[in-house]
Amino acid sequence: MAKAPPITNRVRDLRERHGQMSQAALADAIGVTRQTIIAIEQGRYSPSLESAFRISRVFGVGVEDVFGWEE
Amino acid sequence: MSFREKTAWVMALILIGGAIFYFDKVARLSQALGQTAPPVVGLVIAYVVVIVIASIIIMSVLAISAGKEADAPADEREKIIADKAGNWAGYVIAVAALGGLWHYAVNMDGNMLFHLIFLSLMLGQIAEYVFQIALYRRGV
Repeated sequence: MAKAPPITNRVRDLRERHGQMSQAALADAIGVTRQTIIAIEQGRYSPSLESAFRISRVFGVGVEDVFGWEE
Repeated sequence: MSFREKTAWVMALILIGGAIFYFDKVARLSQALGQTAPPVVGLVIAYVVVIVIASIIIMSVLAISAGKEADAPADEREKIIADKAGNWAGYVIAVAALGGLWHYAVNMDGNMLFHLIFLSLMLGQIAEYVFQIALYRRGV
């Protein structure tokens, strides 16, 4: 299996700041399963560009405010 | 655990059980004959019927308990997992089938060739679900 890219994210943090939004609510908002949100938060899955934009729009911030690249 | 991961676990277990059922019969028959048993169409049909019926029953129970999650189409992560697992399973089939052909080239046992090719198909399906489980757990 290829090594995972060093992509970090603040999805959990933003979700909690966003009125304790549940993983299921965020999943419904962007059209993925709750397990995919869990995988993103745990760094086991890097979402597509489309989903990254959808997540950032849900929180009303830029993509770079949600995702980062840390080597 | 997601509905699709549960599905992968269940299908892997059903297929492993089916393979054990099939090759136990073939081994017993071969022992009785004193040589590799010839292909038995009835046994192949029985294997397929058992797999299909067990899958329908258990998948129905899983789908009912999963509710709307069972109706939802695969999302982007699940599609990637299915694609990768299917791709890697193809290599398993190829390697196992080549092993069967190699065995035939050396031993000229056509009956064994049939069983090994059938085994390679079973292994390919089992491997696909095992790879899916690994990808769901380790990440894509």
